[in-house]
Amino acid sequence: MNPANLLGRETWSPYLAGAGLGVVTTISMALFSKRLSGSGAYQHLSGYLGRELAPKDVYWKYVIPTGVTWEVWLLIGTLLGALASALASGSFRVRMLPDSQWSEVFGPSVGKRWLIVFLGTCLIEFAASLAGGCTASLAVSGSAVLAPGGFVFIAGMFAGGIPAARLLYRKRPGGES
Amino acid sequence: MQIVAPLAIGIGFGFVLQKGRLGHYDTIVNVFRFKDLRVLKFLMSALMVSMLGIQALRSLGLAEEVPVAHSYLVGNLLGGVLFGMGMAVAGFCPGTVAAGAGEGRLDYLIAGSFGLYAGAVLFGLAYPKLMPLLGNLANLGAITAAELFHVDAWLPVLLFWELGLLIFYLIERGPLRPR
Repeated sequence: MNPANLLGRETWSPYLAGAGLGVVTTISMALFSKRLSGSGAYQHLSGYLGRELAPKDVYWKYVIPTGVTWEVWLLIGTLLGALASALASGSFRVRMLPDSQWSEVFGPSVGKRWLIVFLGTCLIEFAASLAGGCTASLAVSGSAVLAPGGFVFIAGMFAGGIPAARLLYRKRPGGES
Repeated sequence: MQIVAPLAIGIGFGFVLQKGRLGHYDTIVNVFRFKDLRVLKFLMSALMVSMLGIQALRSLGLAEEVPVAHSYLVGNLLGGVLFGMGMAVAGFCPGTVAAGAGEGRLDYLIAGSFGLYAGAVLFGLAYPKLMPLLGNLANLGAITAAELFHVDAWLPVLLFWELGLLIFYLIERGPLRPR
């Protein structure tokens, strides 16, 4: 396989892409002592507003540092990496809605999608903060060092996700499973 | 302040998420419907490689201090359940919001960034009431399974590889193959 072709391919096998994430996780954890993270950046930026709303809150005083931290640069890098990957395969496209499966279930309204994205991201960031991490920082970076909390979080993810998906896709087109 | 290292690691992270098709709503939601197990294969592969890589570097004495996530099992589980519900409805997690935004999705970039920020602020406001209770339930601290069960650090890595290979076999060749 020509490496240039590989970078330009739109989608990799999940085994290959997952192994790639494993290498990135290994480098971050073992060489830089940092967990991968998607949720951390927002926690570290939350104090700019939070300290105004609640100046005495112990969360921003003692628990979570406020600033443009490692995690914030990591998030910016994640955006750039996905952009580079999408550009390399020609799959970058500005769009307001996900692919057809979303519209089959929720309809074609952009406003509805954006409202659900806002509420959904709000919930998952809250939930990740509660759990002590997200898919990257707990499910992957926690389980990669065999922390019991990582595996418990993955179990919880499926325990919450499976019934929620069942409920949504009950009596929907193609929803029989 | 380190900038180059987190940027470079982030670029690698976002690149493999996008190549893995993890920025798509249907990829995420369909794992919960057993219609498309891409997320499961991706997650298991990532864990198998990182467990092996980290443990190998540790054994060779090449690893720095490796951070261990805190285990407070009730909070880990409850957070996970809420997180999974949000994932199944909206079709992403925080990292894949960034990946989706990078491939041109404005719903992720705009609504998603505001939502993630709002969630982080709301949690900070709830923290003083919530965490003193929840953080101490089944609190094991920063511990690994090998330390918890007093076994050699390689043993759980080996067991996880066996489990992973078994799951891959069942998915590709056996009864777990999605129909």
